[in-house]
Amino acid sequence: MAYLQALLDGLLIGGVYAVISIGLTLVYGVMGIVNFAQAEFLMIGMFVAWFAWAYLGLDPVVAAPLSFAAAFAIGWVVQGQLIGRVLKAPAVAQIFLTVGVLILIENSALMLFGSQFRSVTTPYQTMSLQLGPLFVSVPYLIAFVMSVLCGAVLWWFMGFSWFGRAMRATAQNPTAAQLMGIDTAFMYKMAFALGVGLTAFGGAVILPYTTVFPTVGGQFVVLMFTVVVLGGLGSVAGAVIGGLTVGVVQSMSTLFFPIQLQNLVLFVVFILVLAFRPQGLIGAAR
Amino acid sequence: MTILAVNGVSRRFGGLQALSDVSFSVSRGQIVGLIGPNGAGKTTFFNTLVGVVRPDRGSILLEGTDVAGWKPHRVAARGMTKTFQNVALFGEATVLENVLTAGLLRYDVAGARALALSCLERVGLAGAADKRADDLSFPERARVELARALCTEPKVLLLDEVMAALNHVEMQEILTLIRSLRDQGLTLLIVEHHMKAIMAVCERILVLNFGRLIADGSPEDVANNPQVIEAYLGSSMEAAE
Amino acid sequence: MRRWIIFGLLIAVAAALPLFLDARGYWIRVLTLTLLFAAMGQAWNIVGGLANQISLGHAAFFGIGAYTSTLLLINFGLSPWIGLFAGAALASVAALVIALPTMRLQGHYFTLATLAFGEVMRVIANVWSSLTGGPVGISVPFMAPDPLMYSFRTTVPHAYIALLALLLVTAVFVWIDRGAMGYRLRAIKGNEAAAEVIGVNTMRVKLSAAVISGALMGALGTLYVQLALFFDPDTAFGLVPISVRVALIAIIGGVGTALGPLIGAAFIIPLEEFANDLLSSGAAGLSQIAYALVLIAVILWRPRGLVTLFDAVSSKVRKKP
Repeated sequence: MAYLQALLDGLLIGGVYAVISIGLTLVYGVMGIVNFAQAEFLMIGMFVAWFAWAYLGLDPVVAAPLSFAAAFAIGWVVQGQLIGRVLKAPAVAQIFLTVGVLILIENSALMLFGSQFRSVTTPYQTMSLQLGPLFVSVPYLIAFVMSVLCGAVLWWFMGFSWFGRAMRATAQNPTAAQLMGIDTAFMYKMAFALGVGLTAFGGAVILPYTTVFPTVGGQFVVLMFTVVVLGGLGSVAGAVIGGLTVGVVQSMSTLFFPIQLQNLVLFVVFILVLAFRPQGLIGAAR
Repeated sequence: MTILAVNGVSRRFGGLQALSDVSFSVSRGQIVGLIGPNGAGKTTFFNTLVGVVRPDRGSILLEGTDVAGWKPHRVAARGMTKTFQNVALFGEATVLENVLTAGLLRYDVAGARALALSCLERVGLAGAADKRADDLSFPERARVELARALCTEPKVLLLDEVMAALNHVEMQEILTLIRSLRDQGLTLLIVEHHMKAIMAVCERILVLNFGRLIADGSPEDVANNPQVIEAYLGSSMEAAE
Repeated sequence: MRRWIIFGLLIAVAAALPLFLDARGYWIRVLTLTLLFAAMGQAWNIVGGLANQISLGHAAFFGIGAYTSTLLLINFGLSPWIGLFAGAALASVAALVIALPTMRLQGHYFTLATLAFGEVMRVIANVWSSLTGGPVGISVPFMAPDPLMYSFRTTVPHAYIALLALLLVTAVFVWIDRGAMGYRLRAIKGNEAAAEVIGVNTMRVKLSAAVISGALMGALGTLYVQLALFFDPDTAFGLVPISVRVALIAIIGGVGTALGPLIGAAFIIPLEEFANDLLSSGAAGLSQIAYALVLIAVILWRPRGLVTLFDAVSSKVRKKP
């Protein structure tokens, strides 16, 4: 029974992990860059939601679009002014530019907000619904539903809007896309901003059951990368499967390992996947 | 004296049977041509010989040793290597460095350098030794690739469309080079689309179609083989050029 | 040739500086750290520059070296000079363990895998407190000054040891680069499939580079902790303090060049100290922000490293008739 409960919790959390990580895979898919600073935008999303709660009385879940917007704006500038300039530089330069952005964002938050831990209290925080013998935690459920909604909007956007199709065209063949009149520089800004915005949205949505502090990104870095690699770098559908898998693995591991080792389990899964199936669970074999 | 004996080599890629039960043997010092329509499996077959692709079934006996499934560097050490169809040089390195690296298989740096220079002489590119490989024209790069392969001191050399994009004079030079390599003791397998060239230099032709060996004989026999003609979509041999 | 002149000049300056600095002071410490990190950057350069495999997990080797020599000293009284070799040996085993599964990985996947390994080591060190002391960290035991036990009265010997270490690691780098292994590594970088076909044992070459780099990094870990005298898992296995930093040093300086790491370290380490001193009295994090801004600026301005500055300057000089 404990297993089923852990499985359920894992799936609910996993849905959110998917939304958080989709941004990372989207950026890679369109631009070929692994954004090591992605988790910092999670932190930004969480802070925006926290401040909306503290000063405007908004529930973090309601504030999630604000988090999206804030990260979108910052991401737009970061891509336009910084990352966009190294798209043709050697991969090392790209990797370390994003690392520089990571340090910049993390310490800006430290300077502006201080290092103390902050969390929210919401009326439904400790509520849970009964589903037969299982308990469904309400914060988890709300986070999951929001993630599904977000995912649905994204799916519609990528599949049916002009922007979405233009982005996919740019991802597949930038030169051809340009020849068709698509402004690839604009698309890259769009993809990056969208990607980090999604991660920030996820951050707001998990705030009811986590705490925020400037270095919280570090706790999610390996998690996000595991999701993305499991699903195949560049595959949005893969990020969904990866997210659910990681959620379940993490949840199940609480049954067997003390809390300090849980991250270790995740790392080991990560390394094993990279070693034996780097193209992801559903990716095409090389 | 059989130097290469291929027996029952097969390879499947997902839903496609790329090679089916290919079997033949080659005597030392022969020049054998390998032809077939596009997609027949010629490059895949070369890849199984040198170890880039592992055959699902079959044996590849190089001087009596079965090298099927061996990694390419071991096959090269044994004496078999190939050139790449679209030329795979180390672009940022110089021509000399490209060829020298192959010599390191059997010699130290000094020895490899000496061998590399002589290989470059044989293909007529001794003067280009210090140029960046990317800066050469395509036919020149193909010749560097040939020199590089020679620098591994192979016993069996596989040439994958080494005459693509050559004009008539250049082609004659390569054909002369191929004959002289044979005279020096090499055994050669050549994939080529230039029919006249293949007919001129090869004493024996193998024909692949859809992964199967459908003909094996002298150029005249193969040219008149109805199965071969049909494989090329009913066109005659002359028209196939 | 020009680069060797610059290298020689910098080394000469580094060798002469201790004579002018306060032997127990702040600046000689900065010099020693600069030289040590230059050596570490050079060790990283073997894999990151010559083999073109960007590792963000070199802290794994560093930490293994640090913990091995210190634990051997504490538990068996073994001199750190010997512990250094033990640490290097263990680190090379770790390099094999890490390299075997990750070698086939391309580009970003390789980087992510090394990052994960570094973090795994950090978590293990934090959790296995009975062996490592856990998050609280370990102190290198205080000893009476004894060169045989790597304990000195002043920082000066540390500086010269670091200088020698830099020269040694650079010699290894150059020996690899100029020798047969260098050709093979460049071939793999150029076209791995073609390299295999012409006889390069790509697996053995990559493994060798990883093991050499890891062993050197482990030895440098010992040198570092004998200077710092205290460390914890977040320092010794730290992603940002070690892995990112040594990679940055090589990259900012000029990845794949012998001179790069020295220039990179000479730029970055004093910059960090400067930022810390000047700005940490201000808000927390300000010094890191300044540091990050400078790094970003340098990457944008010179994506191939500061070492290209010297080429650019000299080509301008040559243009004068």
